[in-house]
Amino acid sequence: MTGKGRFFDLTNGKASRRTVLKGLAAGAGLAAAPGFVRYAQAQSSAPIKIGFQAHRTGIGAAYGRWYERTTAAAVKAINAAGGINGRPIEIVVEDDGTDAARGAEVVAKLANQHKVDIVYGTLFSNVVVGSAPTAGELKIPYYVVSEGYHVASGKLNRYVFQPGITDVRAQVTSVAPWIAANAGKKVTMIFPDYAFGYDHRDYLPPALQKAGAEVVAKIAIPPTESSFTKYFPQIPSETDAIYHVMVGPAVLTFVKELGDFYGSSGPKLFGFIDSLEAVDINSPGLEYLDGSHFWEGSPRYAQADDTEAQKAYRAAVGIDDNGAAVADAKDVSTAAHMFGCWETLYVIKKAMEDAGYTGPGDRAKLVEATEALTEFAEGPEHPQGKKLFNGKIHQCFGHQNISKLEGGKLKVVHKTTIEDGMYEPEADYTKQSL
Amino acid sequence: MSKRFSQRQIRWAVFAAAASSCGVLFLPVPALAHASDRGHVLLLPTNYYLAGGAFAVAASFLVLSLVPADALGRLWRRRLPLMTFGDGARVAVSLLSFALFAVLVAAGFWGSRDPLSNPLPLTIWTLLWTGMTLAQGVFGNLWSWLNPWYGPWWIVTRLTGRQDAGRRMPSWLGYWPAFLLFLGFAWFELIYPAPDDPSKLAIAAGGYWLLSFVLMLVFGHDGWSSRGEFLSVFFSMLARFSLLDRNEAGRLSLCWPGAKLLDAQPLPLSGAAFLLLALSSVSFDGLMRTFLWLGLNGINPLELPGRTAMVGINSLGLVATFLLLAFLFGVSILVGRWLAGSHIALDQLGGLLVWSIVPIALAYHLAHYLTDLLVNGQYALVALSDPLGLGWDLFGSAHMSVTAGIAAGAEAAWWLWNIQAALIVGGHVLAVLVAHAAASRLGRAMQQAILLQLPLTALMVAYTLFGLWLLATPTAG
Repeated sequence: MTGKGRFFDLTNGKASRRTVLKGLAAGAGLAAAPGFVRYAQAQSSAPIKIGFQAHRTGIGAAYGRWYERTTAAAVKAINAAGGINGRPIEIVVEDDGTDAARGAEVVAKLANQHKVDIVYGTLFSNVVVGSAPTAGELKIPYYVVSEGYHVASGKLNRYVFQPGITDVRAQVTSVAPWIAANAGKKVTMIFPDYAFGYDHRDYLPPALQKAGAEVVAKIAIPPTESSFTKYFPQIPSETDAIYHVMVGPAVLTFVKELGDFYGSSGPKLFGFIDSLEAVDINSPGLEYLDGSHFWEGSPRYAQADDTEAQKAYRAAVGIDDNGAAVADAKDVSTAAHMFGCWETLYVIKKAMEDAGYTGPGDRAKLVEATEALTEFAEGPEHPQGKKLFNGKIHQCFGHQNISKLEGGKLKVVHKTTIEDGMYEPEADYTKQSL
Repeated sequence: MSKRFSQRQIRWAVFAAAASSCGVLFLPVPALAHASDRGHVLLLPTNYYLAGGAFAVAASFLVLSLVPADALGRLWRRRLPLMTFGDGARVAVSLLSFALFAVLVAAGFWGSRDPLSNPLPLTIWTLLWTGMTLAQGVFGNLWSWLNPWYGPWWIVTRLTGRQDAGRRMPSWLGYWPAFLLFLGFAWFELIYPAPDDPSKLAIAAGGYWLLSFVLMLVFGHDGWSSRGEFLSVFFSMLARFSLLDRNEAGRLSLCWPGAKLLDAQPLPLSGAAFLLLALSSVSFDGLMRTFLWLGLNGINPLELPGRTAMVGINSLGLVATFLLLAFLFGVSILVGRWLAGSHIALDQLGGLLVWSIVPIALAYHLAHYLTDLLVNGQYALVALSDPLGLGWDLFGSAHMSVTAGIAAGAEAAWWLWNIQAALIVGGHVLAVLVAHAAASRLGRAMQQAILLQLPLTALMVAYTLFGLWLLATPTAG
């Protein structure tokens, strides 16, 4: 299965508390206010309550902070433009501690205690997989921003959606043609020896083969490894390109030792920015990456041809041209992934409006309305780019960015087509009962 | 591990040891949460620090063995009188503290659900557990005034006319109540799946306040605080390290760090166990995040399942770490006694030498939690200004921008590592000093004192290595 072990937690995100966390704060305020009962009864103007299952503590905290900031920015924008069907969004945050077991508890608590309309925002795959059954049992729509293949695989249930970020299978599949055409025909893969690495190990070779290239070696690195030099002799000398997806605190050591091994020469490098998400790309030890290429979901650095929507999104979330917090240049964002929060919230808005959603009684209608969606146009609501949505597997498909690291910045050199990442669906959630 | 290092880094390695030896422990520089930036630390020449740190601790022992204990003691005991003040405001201060505590517990139940927005977890885990520990270590026993029990207890006992405790806490209980409560606290902090959850923490903290208050009514405030209420016990032990000393007459003096440990009475077995538990729990907090510990337990550190899945192994680990440290401490006392040919009662020997754990415990605590204080401390300032999430701005900090970036990146990691190394090495050097003073009180001749202390010093050298390794090795979370 999937499982993105994104705990390359090399930074603490910076966040202003006056953001989405007003969420429950606002709830508490309302509850304490004398007019609360009357307000709550006025269904037409009562807030839509979105439960935010957040990684505020635990291993996902660095990502969690940026997911929270992006969520806050999107909610602010949506509410400023009239909310959903004229009702403001209220975010109710519950921390899951990046803990699968707590994830399920949090979903139940949000549904039963906080009476939210839907649950949203989960990143870590283990939490998604742990929480999905509860969402299914409680029949509460659960919109994740996880990037895992678990949703599209059909192994979850009808209430789980991933409409705002592409899955790892599509990402891996879509970069293969570019690698074959630009990096080389003979590729050696270096990946961590567990589920996250296996997604890449399993999906890249067939895609490369289709594009006329081949994987000449697959080097699986034990997850507890912190020194890598001894693995490098396994890289075949015929290798044109190394495809690396290492994660964890030892990534810098990996890059440094790879540089020491090859000196100024060596194969071309292609990596996933997951390895260095939220880390300054110019950190000591990463020098060997100069000139190499990365997959990015959404570009960390501002690009010369950024659309107005992209510029507006970056300004709203509060990241500068280097992808760091505007007020704190050392606080590097999780730009490649967090846009998914923004876009997911707009999908929720669209689906609720299509469904004429009025309250929890309309959850089944909301599920069907979400499944009926097919396409999201690029624009302020989808600044990362156009998406296609497959209602049967509850998964969106979109463009991927391939960026070159030069001059200390990541510059997008290629955007894949949406079709590059398409694969044959393996499931149909719409056949499950509601 | 092949690691390149610059001249600057070498100079700092030397400085770290040297500064520590001089007791330069509390430099106000940014550092990192123990959750982050380990990747940058992995590129630093940490092995040289480990070697240098162990050498510094061993060398300090050798140097001390050449210095006459009397001369050292005379210098160390010097005080600089500052001012005198009475206890008049103690009740009021404690009542204010109680009022704040009550607001915080209310915030836990009714405020934001976000642990980084709710002031209760931020105050308990960051301001109290880290900040207050630092304050106690520097300024002395502020907790005796700031604890939220004394004021309410004073009022209730005055109203009921029961100013003297009805009964005394049985002496056979020793410090065991505090020991067990501390163990529960450490378990809740390190192992319970959701210690940051505002409402769960409100139940735990509120319940603990109530339990302690009832027991203070039974055994008296001082009675329960001195051996039962674990925070008071912990804080008062650490306060013996502080740079300020206030005597019975209310006279405040400036003193050398650890000077108040010189005249400490031997701790009973339960008190010694308490101090060792305090140190071992923080050590385990570091250990349980290492790739080594996770790997040993078959957990992939790159795919952590979360706390819930680790409750069993980490509960065992917490207890095992304590037992191992207690065992090693006990053995070092026994062997020292045997080497010195001493007939001093074991409990007296161990009870006195165990005070040398105080600087180490303090150093570990700060090294592990300093960044949490600096980063989450900012969140706390924001949250306290609007404790119930009602849009208030009581202190003008509700909209303050939290700058976590000061703790991010390679440069911050470098600073953090150096500060942590200085704290760990400095703490152990001071521990050697305290142990030397204690051994000198017990040993008739210099040689006997040195032999008494020798195995404990070896343990401290090993613990220095362990402490630095904990901060240098790959970790998850």
